[in-house]
Amino acid sequence: MVLLATPDLDEQVGTHLDQETMPPWQTVVWNDPVNLMSYVTHVFREYFGFDRPRAEQLMLAVHHEGHAVVAEGAREQMELHVQAMHDYGLWATIRQAPR
Amino acid sequence: MSGQRTVVLELTRMEAAHLAGLVTQFTELLEGAESGAGDPAIARLVPDAYADDAAAAQDFRDVTENDLLERRRQDAAAVLDSIREPATLPDDAEPDDEVLMELVELRLQPEALRAWLRCLAAIRLVLATRLDIRSEDDHDVDDPRFGIYEWLGYRLDGLVQAASGDE
Repeated sequence: MVLLATPDLDEQVGTHLDQETMPPWQTVVWNDPVNLMSYVTHVFREYFGFDRPRAEQLMLAVHHEGHAVVAEGAREQMELHVQAMHDYGLWATIRQAPR
Repeated sequence: MSGQRTVVLELTRMEAAHLAGLVTQFTELLEGAESGAGDPAIARLVPDAYADDAAAAQDFRDVTENDLLERRRQDAAAVLDSIREPATLPDDAEPDDEVLMELVELRLQPEALRAWLRCLAAIRLVLATRLDIRSEDDHDVDDPRFGIYEWLGYRLDGLVQAASGDE
């Protein structure tokens, strides 16, 4: 699998201090009027391996709040998650965690 | 765990024929799709991954778009493969022919089932773009395409329930 992000040099060779102060990246799933609530829950369970209560909680957060952070971590990993969400037809984006 | 079970889908030959027609149209739409730029329905299948960074979004698109659209083609082919026989109606079938209402059972193995779920979800996204559905309440009872859209949702929901029901 190709790693998609081309991190800035300082991210790649950053000191421990940089690593610790750098906000993590997030996979954000956005509400849309098309995807079924049952389908979104199913995707969260199947892909992320969440149990049903956790998957439903996230689905409802997407539905009621307009979006939900479903994963957090390294940028490359979030890009894999977002591609997977797009593969299911979900609307997902990557962002750096708000400070 | 969801996603590992075989599901039996029961539908009429008429439904199978309609679905085959829809999936064939979807395949034709994908054939012409080199890039999402021109068609909002295709664009919805490969959305921007970065909301505030056009360059990063383009880089991501360059690497993922072809794979995503190829998966849509493969999923559509898998669905067509599983309904080819039941969707084939006699040439002389009349609109009220009993054969149209004949129920057929499709056994969907886990891999085919996942292709079905993704494919029905993707076709609904395309239809929603064509129908300009912007909220969950958008509905035009006079437009028969809404009936197709909702029927797809009904079938998708049934498959999701069957795929992910708790043991």
